[in-house]
Amino acid sequence: MILVRFTIVAVLIATLISCASNQNKDFVSSKEISVNEFSSSVGKLITNLNFLEDEILKINAKNPSVQRIVAGSDKYIKEGKLVQANSELERALRISKQESAVYLRLSLLRFNQGLVEESKSFASRGLLIRDVSSWERLLLNVFLKFQL
Amino acid sequence: MKIKLTLSSIAIISFVAILVFVAAVVALIDSRVTNKLEGVLWTVPAKVYSRTLDLAEGSRINRDNLLKELDMLSYSEKKEPSRPGEFLYRNNKLRIFLRGYEEQKSGLFDVFLDESSVSRITNQLGLPEDVVRLEPIAIGGVYPAHMEDRVLLNWPQVPEILIDTILAVEDQDFFNHNGISVRSISRAFFANIKAAEIAQGGSTITQQLAKNLFFSSEQTIKRKAMEAVAALLIEFHYSKEEILLAYINDVFIAQSGKRAVHGFGMGAQHFFGTSIMNLETDEVALLVGMLKGPSLYNPRRNPKNAKQRRDLVLNVLKRERIINQEMLEIYRDRPLKVVSPSFRSETKYPAFHDLVRLELRENFADSDLRTKGLSIQTNIDPVFQESLESSIIKTKEELIKKYGERLKDLEGAAIAVDITSGEIKAVVGSTAPSKYGFNRSINAIRPIGSLVKPFIYLTALNQYVDYNLTTILDDSELELISGGMIWKPNNFDKKFHGQVPLHKALWQSYNIASARLGIDLGYDSVQSIFTKLGIEKQIPRFPSLFIGSFEMSPYEAVQAYQTIAADGFYTPLRSIREIRDPKGNIKLTYPYNIEQRIRPEPVELLKFAMKQTFIRGTARGYSKQKIESWQAGGKTGTSDDQRDSWFIGFAGETLVLVWLGFDDNRPTPLTGRTGALEVWKNFIEIVDPPPIQKNSLPRINMVWTDLKDGKLSGEKCKNSILVPFVVGTEPTTIPAVRNKCSSNKKKNESNIMDKLKKVFEEGQD
Repeated sequence: MILVRFTIVAVLIATLISCASNQNKDFVSSKEISVNEFSSSVGKLITNLNFLEDEILKINAKNPSVQRIVAGSDKYIKEGKLVQANSELERALRISKQESAVYLRLSLLRFNQGLVEESKSFASRGLLIRDVSSWERLLLNVFLKFQL
Repeated sequence: MKIKLTLSSIAIISFVAILVFVAAVVALIDSRVTNKLEGVLWTVPAKVYSRTLDLAEGSRINRDNLLKELDMLSYSEKKEPSRPGEFLYRNNKLRIFLRGYEEQKSGLFDVFLDESSVSRITNQLGLPEDVVRLEPIAIGGVYPAHMEDRVLLNWPQVPEILIDTILAVEDQDFFNHNGISVRSISRAFFANIKAAEIAQGGSTITQQLAKNLFFSSEQTIKRKAMEAVAALLIEFHYSKEEILLAYINDVFIAQSGKRAVHGFGMGAQHFFGTSIMNLETDEVALLVGMLKGPSLYNPRRNPKNAKQRRDLVLNVLKRERIINQEMLEIYRDRPLKVVSPSFRSETKYPAFHDLVRLELRENFADSDLRTKGLSIQTNIDPVFQESLESSIIKTKEELIKKYGERLKDLEGAAIAVDITSGEIKAVVGSTAPSKYGFNRSINAIRPIGSLVKPFIYLTALNQYVDYNLTTILDDSELELISGGMIWKPNNFDKKFHGQVPLHKALWQSYNIASARLGIDLGYDSVQSIFTKLGIEKQIPRFPSLFIGSFEMSPYEAVQAYQTIAADGFYTPLRSIREIRDPKGNIKLTYPYNIEQRIRPEPVELLKFAMKQTFIRGTARGYSKQKIESWQAGGKTGTSDDQRDSWFIGFAGETLVLVWLGFDDNRPTPLTGRTGALEVWKNFIEIVDPPPIQKNSLPRINMVWTDLKDGKLSGEKCKNSILVPFVVGTEPTTIPAVRNKCSSNKKKNESNIMDKLKKVFEEGQD
């Protein structure tokens, strides 16, 4: 009886492990980025402002309503209408203060307006939000690295 | 030389003189006509509005407050909302027919609410909608001396039914006459002869417009003649369309206090709380009907007359085949639906208007504000404002009941702001908040008592290598020479408390421990924190500073606390959101500015101590769960001889400061706890702020410590408290007596987790 139980448990464990490792393999193979590629992306964030802007505008808000407003703001940012973009971002902020997507854009906006110190403050404020992904954290940190 | 005056020469001279005189009169009238039509008529006072309210999935909203706001906006509850301005609230679902504002179109929406937020919004087709916007409430204006208030309409904004109704009722011949209608005059002439007095006017729309230019309503032959000349001149200068539009914008609709409501645009706002474009035929009929006698047919003052007049106008519309019999009956059966004027008065919220004016003065000339038709959207939250006003009134009444009539002159001020954005949501400058007068929120400079202590403790905690929340402070007798005098501070309970952990000294508001701390820190480092908090004045270099002799206005104090409540991010307070011109273009915005003045970790430690004020200190009484969900914190303040009662507290996203005291600075029987805190509590009870999420601060560790000696302790030990520390500054020694009850195992595990967390999460530099 014990042997039977042992066998069943062993088979189950073996199956689970193989599933898990397969998944892992698939995951890695589809999303793998080489170390060189990653560090060059990070390098580009600091040296290429268009790349940084593109990456920030790819970050979506978690709340769909906020995302809708943020999308409106993105349109203004692209058109260079920074005052209107700011009004929309403040509107988004009134709905939720827990959206790193909004703080990232505020940092970007202030940076584009030449307000480097304020852009840093917005980035620092964004870092206080819970559940900020590592990539968002990295993007926010980019603003903290800029010098006047 | 002799001049022979013949009859013919006299006649010629007289004729020329009369001609010159007539020409002069005509020229005078002409200049008046063009001046008015091209000048004064187009001067529109700036309008001040509350903030707009966006409802979106996930927006935090208090249901009761939302319903209150609908009431203020004069939305009426109907079983089946089918027209703009109607709603039904049942089972957490708000069905609302929005009136429409700016880009928000009018329409029927369902807004589903859960306990503290909006969970879903759908439109009439049942499709999801991301955001819907409620229109703002008009809270006043900046009026010119003549007090004429209007909203200018352009042709696209004028509904056809308004034109049809005006023409049908006032001047059916408008497009055919040249300013004067002989048919109308002869009809009126015979009617007047019959009545042996001037009973009927034969005025065309052009004549009525001309009549308004002379600022008088007396009906004399001379005036009629001048009117007729003016009418002809108007027709000579302007097209029919221009004349009709001027009439629509200029006609006198009603008097509201000192303010004269002119034009149909403002009339629609004044009586129906909405744009003229949203009005239905019966409402338009009422407004047009009122022209005959704005006071006699005022629907608020004389609803019976107004309804009769409206029905008469509707009959005219039927007669002229503008509406059919069926519609006539439907409209006639409708009651008058004018909105309550109580939230549309120009004297509402005077303390808030003071702040708006102060901000405006920096960017606009007074004349621009009075004439350019600017639209000023502010940050005032009308529900917060009403609640703050009612809280200060109610608390004063309760205090008078408790302490007697000696408090009948008690004054006060209060300010509520959004912590993160610095938006001023409500301001009260008196215990009679609706009266204009001395605005204590900005003008009463008073000693802040213990409200100063968090600034001193923050100075210490900002030096987090040397000070933490369990640093032991000395609250034993202190005596020193200050300004050549012996200075001997005392505690409020007249006792000494010996050695106390820093956090306890703050939430128990011990004076002597605080004074010693301030002295140890030194004036320079304290001044540096004051400056970081936005306090511009120099601190006086006397030790009494550390226990509250420092003077501030409520506005200055709430600005300083904004930086604390916002985790070290200073944001200038602002009452205005944006200013638009009459075409809707943004003229000026007051954007959200921030500056990180202090690192978040020391502020987090201070906020922990301020939270204890609610849990076990001078503001205890709320449930722990409530305090946690709000991330609440606060501080009471009482000045010498109880002349000032202060409370500052943050709950959810709102920071509220309250001051109570007498204008002549005599002592009150109140402390911060028994006076100002009561206003705060009454206010918070009404607005019930939605819960907020705690910050993510990877460099903070929570450690069990002892309430008395501040050293390490354990969850199971008596008198223990879980205290935050900046990583690396935690206490390390556990007294032998607590070896048993404190478990290291748990602590070590959490340290490993913390270390792992640190490896994976890069925080701020």
